[in-house]
Amino acid sequence: MNGGDTHTNTRRRSVTRRDFVKAAGASGAATALAGCTVGGSQAGSGAVRWVTDSTGADAADAIRTALYNAGLSKDIDLDVIAGPSQTGARQSQYTRWLSADLADPDIFMMDSGWALNFINRAQVLNLTENLPESTVNLVENEYFQAAVETARGGDGDLYAVPLFPDFPTMLYRKDLVKQAGYQPESENWATESMQWKKFSKVVADAKRQSNVNYGFGFQANIYEGLSCCDFNEFMTSWGGAYFGGRDTLFGPIGERPVTVAEQPVVDAVRMIRSFIYGSDAPNTLDGYEQISPRAVLSWTENPSLSPFTAGNMVALRNWPYAIPSSAEAFGEEKLGVMPIPYGVTAEKSQYENIGGPVAALGGWHNAVNPNSERMEDALAVVNTMTKPSFQRALVEATGWLPPNREVFTSDKVKQVPVTGNYIEQLRIAGENAIPRPVTVVWPQESTKIAQLVHAGLSGDSPPKQAMNTLKDQLTAIEEFNAQ
Amino acid sequence: MATEQSSESGVQGSSGIYGGAVRWLENLSETAFAYLLLTPAFLLLAVISFWPLASTFEMSLHADSLRGAQQLGEFVGLRNYVALLTGQLDTVALPQPFLDLSQPFKSALPVTIIFTVVAVFFETIIGFGQALVLDQDFRGRRWVRVAIIIPWAVPIVIQGMIFFLLFQPGIGFGVDVVEALGGSGTPLVNSAEALPIIILADVWKTTAFMALLILAGLQSVDRSLYDVAKVSGATKWQSFKMITFPLILPTVLVAMLFRTISSMRIYGLIETTSSCTTVPSLSCLVVSTFSTRRYGTAAAVAFVTAAIIAVVVSVYIVRFWQNSSDGSGI
Repeated sequence: MNGGDTHTNTRRRSVTRRDFVKAAGASGAATALAGCTVGGSQAGSGAVRWVTDSTGADAADAIRTALYNAGLSKDIDLDVIAGPSQTGARQSQYTRWLSADLADPDIFMMDSGWALNFINRAQVLNLTENLPESTVNLVENEYFQAAVETARGGDGDLYAVPLFPDFPTMLYRKDLVKQAGYQPESENWATESMQWKKFSKVVADAKRQSNVNYGFGFQANIYEGLSCCDFNEFMTSWGGAYFGGRDTLFGPIGERPVTVAEQPVVDAVRMIRSFIYGSDAPNTLDGYEQISPRAVLSWTENPSLSPFTAGNMVALRNWPYAIPSSAEAFGEEKLGVMPIPYGVTAEKSQYENIGGPVAALGGWHNAVNPNSERMEDALAVVNTMTKPSFQRALVEATGWLPPNREVFTSDKVKQVPVTGNYIEQLRIAGENAIPRPVTVVWPQESTKIAQLVHAGLSGDSPPKQAMNTLKDQLTAIEEFNAQ
Repeated sequence: MATEQSSESGVQGSSGIYGGAVRWLENLSETAFAYLLLTPAFLLLAVISFWPLASTFEMSLHADSLRGAQQLGEFVGLRNYVALLTGQLDTVALPQPFLDLSQPFKSALPVTIIFTVVAVFFETIIGFGQALVLDQDFRGRRWVRVAIIIPWAVPIVIQGMIFFLLFQPGIGFGVDVVEALGGSGTPLVNSAEALPIIILADVWKTTAFMALLILAGLQSVDRSLYDVAKVSGATKWQSFKMITFPLILPTVLVAMLFRTISSMRIYGLIETTSSCTTVPSLSCLVVSTFSTRRYGTAAAVAFVTAAIIAVVVSVYIVRFWQNSSDGSGI
């Protein structure tokens, strides 16, 4: 019995171990083969690969056709790839690709808000040196200047080419303000910006005389949109600035003044508090109506758009994408669009070109991968994208506004459904656009700005104290990372 | 047998690496052979567990590189740790009073500790109660079990969206409740209000996990002990105190250990419900630092977070390991 067991065990053990060695050897060989197959594969098809968003990818055929019609050689094929939908996720993806010196993709569509990070790290190609001189001149002279500023390196050269700009405007219910006794057409609201004080009265009157629940909607959640855009506009329209004006938007870090505790900036916070809590609340400004719900403190773009398109709001600050959806929701005849109001005129600001009507700069650029193995073809694609005929076709295919000011107001663009009817308001926003102060430390600074501005708006901290604390925080970051 | 020996000797007699390996294997003891088979698993464990940790530590000894194309700056030794723990590295002020501390690490640490202690406490108490109910025989017990398990089955993103919408102004009725309790109209962007909401969301979801583990412990208790207790005249409370509680304590401690570790890594629920800028946990701090391309600093925060979790786990194990021999420890 025992012997039998021993025999069986010995036999089973010897066979098992032998099988184990064989199996391990076979598995190893199979794994090695698999590794060779995968590792040896090559992805390249010869086409230039352009990473963009889902809008671009969905319109890939139209984009290719427009490029060929604009003169791109038909020998050059273009793959249009949709990157991550969130801008932050896309930036992270690009960071990983470019930090690893990958040759693919060849062209990157980059947010004007963070293209400078890649430019400053020398991770994209110098286009002034590689594009035809005529193209560089066209971009530098004919494009919206605020967009071009965010595509330049510290040496003044272009490292990206604006593909399309994005500017916010003030959308409002024309029917409700007319009902309240105002005349937007005869007062030229579409092109002549009004002061915030008058705006608050208009909205308050329209709200009182209608059955809508909300007056003025904007975005004041604790996120990048507050620091880059909404508050940047409020503050600049009051003649204030983060770092002492336009000249220091992009540095030098540590040497520029931090000016967020100055009176115009504090007044901007106090004005928004008046909108939310009314002028009787602490730390507000007299003469401004209570027109905004407290919900604005938790709104980003889409949550703020919903009540407007539902017909439940008088006015909304938002990006151009909100124009067609609003017109579709309650009719183009009821939709008014005007430049964002201002606090003080530019003459009253101590900084040059600060104050008056202003719109935060959004939009996207194209940059070329310096490791590209199809560099010539990639440059040809980027070059063709600067042609006016291509940009006109692109508006129709994607709705992206042209970066070239002349194309922007061309007849063909004016004929684009809905958005084309408001092109003049968008042009004015573009002429008055202000970029966010992007440097390598902006992501850190943006978080602090959003947190402390929000604290000032919500009343968690008095505005003056919040802005003083913010000044200390920004100064510390600037000094720690001084150039 | 002879045929087999002959066949085997054919292999054994063969020279070369393969034959030598087989002979070496067959001469190993059972224990040594078992360890040999486990070696790949140990190596894999070392690679997937210790190599990333060592790599993170190595990264944390370098300065951030914000300007260059390279990801890390020069070697700076323990400077990142000194700066992190003394608040020199980066200064941040959060607006709400109970988080009004001067450095992010000093905000993230109390947020994480408060979340962990409060959430695990309530999950244990409620989970224990649910397990005791589920351990009884009653009509519809299966349906009650399903009802309890459903929140646990909900993906974190969906759970976050549920609570986001519940406390979103103009949409969720939770805002009215918060306002009735004296809170703001925007609870998800107010740290002092958002933290309890996130704890509530975690308790809602994870209590089922505790209940299921504790129920398993309850059902392993020998029922004859209760019969003996009943015959001896023990009350239900005495039966619980003298029989149930001591016997399921090891299970409860294991469940608490799992939940504690998980709670200290909280990230997804915060980001989807209120965002890390409102309620910054340690993991939030790692992610936000990493996303600003401060890889050296992010690695230091990550390593310190891992060390804190390791200390907590050690406390659990050291505190209760000694009792394991009598069945009351881990």
